[in-house]
Amino acid sequence: MSSSASGGARSASTAFVFASCTFVAFSNAAFAFESRSPKAGEKGSEIGLALKVRKALVVGTEGDSFVDNAVVIVKNGVIEAVGPVRTTPIPSSYEVIDQSARWLAPGFVDLHCHIAGSLSDLNDTVYLTNPELHASAAVTPENSALKLAVAGGVTSVLFIPGSGSNMGGQGILLKTGLPTFEEMRIRDPGSLKLAQAGNPERWAIGVGRSHMNWNTRNTFERGLAYAKAWDRFEKGAAPAPERNIQWDIFRDLYSKKTQVSTHTQRYQVVLATLTMVRVGFGLDVYIDHGEWFGSKLAAYAQKIGVNAIVGPREVDVPSSAIDTDGRILGIAASYQQNGHKNIGFNTDSPVVPQEELSVQAAVAVRYGFDDSRQDSMRGLTIVPAKTAGIAHRVGSLAPGKDADFIVSTGDPLDPRNSIEIVFIEGRRVYDAAVEKRRW
Amino acid sequence: MVIMKRTFLFSALLATSASLTHSFASDSSFPTPTPPANAVPTRIAGELGGPGLAVKTRKALAVPLEGVQFVDNAVLLVKDGKIVGLGPAATTPIPSDFEVVDAGEQWIMPGMIDLHSHVGGTFDINEMVYLTNPGLRVSASVIPHNDTLKVTVASGVTTILFIPGSGVNVGGQGILMKIGLDRFEEALVRNPGSMKLAQAGNPEGWTVGIGRSFMNWNTRAMFSRGVLYAKKWDDFEKGQGSKPERNFDLDIFRELYSKRTQISTHTQIYQVVMTTLTMVKKQFGLDVYIDHGEMAGYKLAGFAKDLGVNAILGPRNVEVPTRQFINWTGSNPEGILGIAAEYQKRGMKMIGFNTDAPVIPAEELFLQASMAVRHGFDATNLESVRGLTIVPAVTSGIADRVGSLEVGKDADFVIMTGDPADPRTSVSRVFTNGKRIYDTAKDKRLF
Repeated sequence: MSSSASGGARSASTAFVFASCTFVAFSNAAFAFESRSPKAGEKGSEIGLALKVRKALVVGTEGDSFVDNAVVIVKNGVIEAVGPVRTTPIPSSYEVIDQSARWLAPGFVDLHCHIAGSLSDLNDTVYLTNPELHASAAVTPENSALKLAVAGGVTSVLFIPGSGSNMGGQGILLKTGLPTFEEMRIRDPGSLKLAQAGNPERWAIGVGRSHMNWNTRNTFERGLAYAKAWDRFEKGAAPAPERNIQWDIFRDLYSKKTQVSTHTQRYQVVLATLTMVRVGFGLDVYIDHGEWFGSKLAAYAQKIGVNAIVGPREVDVPSSAIDTDGRILGIAASYQQNGHKNIGFNTDSPVVPQEELSVQAAVAVRYGFDDSRQDSMRGLTIVPAKTAGIAHRVGSLAPGKDADFIVSTGDPLDPRNSIEIVFIEGRRVYDAAVEKRRW
Repeated sequence: MVIMKRTFLFSALLATSASLTHSFASDSSFPTPTPPANAVPTRIAGELGGPGLAVKTRKALAVPLEGVQFVDNAVLLVKDGKIVGLGPAATTPIPSDFEVVDAGEQWIMPGMIDLHSHVGGTFDINEMVYLTNPGLRVSASVIPHNDTLKVTVASGVTTILFIPGSGVNVGGQGILMKIGLDRFEEALVRNPGSMKLAQAGNPEGWTVGIGRSFMNWNTRAMFSRGVLYAKKWDDFEKGQGSKPERNFDLDIFRELYSKRTQISTHTQIYQVVMTTLTMVKKQFGLDVYIDHGEMAGYKLAGFAKDLGVNAILGPRNVEVPTRQFINWTGSNPEGILGIAAEYQKRGMKMIGFNTDAPVIPAEELFLQASMAVRHGFDATNLESVRGLTIVPAVTSGIADRVGSLEVGKDADFVIMTGDPADPRTSVSRVFTNGKRIYDTAKDKRLF
């Protein structure tokens, strides 16, 4: 297998030299705003790109979805077609890359990331709820942690505030491997970050979960009243309310243009996420940083449409602090066995390194997560994409979606395989054959 | 639990007294290796004295040194703690009095072997009174099946070389032992399991002013004395000389000289791997292997192979780009390199893996093989599994008992959900000497 893989690499070596020149241009572009002529498959190029691979993991919303001996066709940064080589015509002008010993899969999506910029500016805890703060102010494109993220196949992240307060502020959905803020941005605000038990309890002496629950509820009530007032005004039913930039995020939440991403793990706070945020306020919300015995609420969460993104702990280990039966339990398996069907994975990078997102899924399988129907791959791609409302752009190999994908030596969920090439929007942003192997 | 603790204590005392007894009262310095026949007979299937045990499995990774490496839809037959048969279920009759365990879709493999472990007992294994301490024995520190080893067993490791640390050039004598068994005698595979040699790195911290040149001289001088001592005894035993004066410090060299044990060398950078090959193997003619192999030592892989020096690799299984020192490891790759892949590329076939537990947790031995594959090690012919089993068994001279699923060997095997080098696989049952020592169906899942 390895010899044929290197044969594939040799046959495409000319293209690889091209790509390394591209890299030099990337790093300059961030500072000098030089114009850069797009390569085949990228946005603005007249030339398309066709990749031949042994197996393309298409990833549907359910079941095992792949194409053997596939070709993936890309034009203008977007996927045009995915199909068997034999039946999928490649336009004659398109550049062809032969990677037919390797696999191709959608780029991974991590909905709990703190490494896309300066970490020290992500946990401003002046107040217990800070709905107006923007993580977008801290983004640093092409930082060293993001370069590793790309090498690990992570192409989209939700870069969010820390959990030092109940509302750390607004996250931003970003592409990891692009050189400028504007190119990276998928959606801002990417979410409103909510955190309940644990870290926020350190905010001050005397603050416990009851006060935090009241205070958070109070913030939601006031924010939603503001959003409703604007909604009535826009429907012509009321005069214009006074602008209050502190509450503007709630207009996005109220109109379902963004979601609440909740650092929620223990039973009682997962319950608060479900009953207060979802049922009480009717907002789009998901379990992020899901761990511990929150999984006991899996069936209820599934019923009311709250997805479960789990990690950075993928296992419950026996301890006096957490009620377990003395065995190591897999969190994802526990959610799955309790009836949840939309389970994704996150790292909480740098707590778990960003490049190890796929290892979170491997650990889940080791600890009992049923992967017979591609659910671990789905948990790295389409589940987080749908959860964050960006599945029209990322999360699977479908015509019209961004050409974000990885080329690996085999099943990318098997840690024995390695990621060799990464594309974002048709750009080759990482190639282990022409630059230093990073991971 | 209380009873078990007493057993540990008893075993530790026994180990100490055994070594004292042998040092002072016996001419033959080392206890004879004790076969599992010394174990207490039971009536449990597969164990000594019990009925036979047949394990049906989707795939048996037999991994003998030569020959067919695996059997699909296999049955493994065990009797009195030993393997008595392995073959396709269709053509291998199961004796009627054998108890049958159907592992269904799960696989089996030999118990894994780690030739660089420091967790076999208490941590009294880094005594640094002298720079070379060939007389020290870790057997005095053994606590069979301690809490760390209980987790280790849950990952499928059943045999370890428990060795002294690398604070000095010769830390003492290691011991080869089974894990999962509560009694010292039952756990013992061979003592001395090795003489531990360490060269660059840690021993340099022994005192100010000691560098590799002095250490090389001092180690060489000690080896010269030791081998000379062994030769005198050999001559005496052949009736060709007078009886030499006994020197406990150097007795280990009699074992080494007669090839009853090996030197396990903590050796990693180019110059010290070179010393291992030229001085220990070529000059002194002793059996030696690269243990704790990492960094730029791989550049000598072809030479090592020609000399018959095997390579047991870890705990670092990758060479990462580094520029902060003056090239002190002898290697500055541009990208991440896999150590095992680099050894393999240069023709080395006998490549195994070690953890240096607790540096890498003992239960993560298989991950060392996974990492090797991730970073370019070709495992098409089960090389990753062999590096965890038959390669370390052959390397440490215990392949007559462990390391593969072959008739006559100890029934040390693991039942797991798939390929052991795939981290998504989990271990469900582990047997040592035919004893079921871990079973997730009734024990707590530990790993």
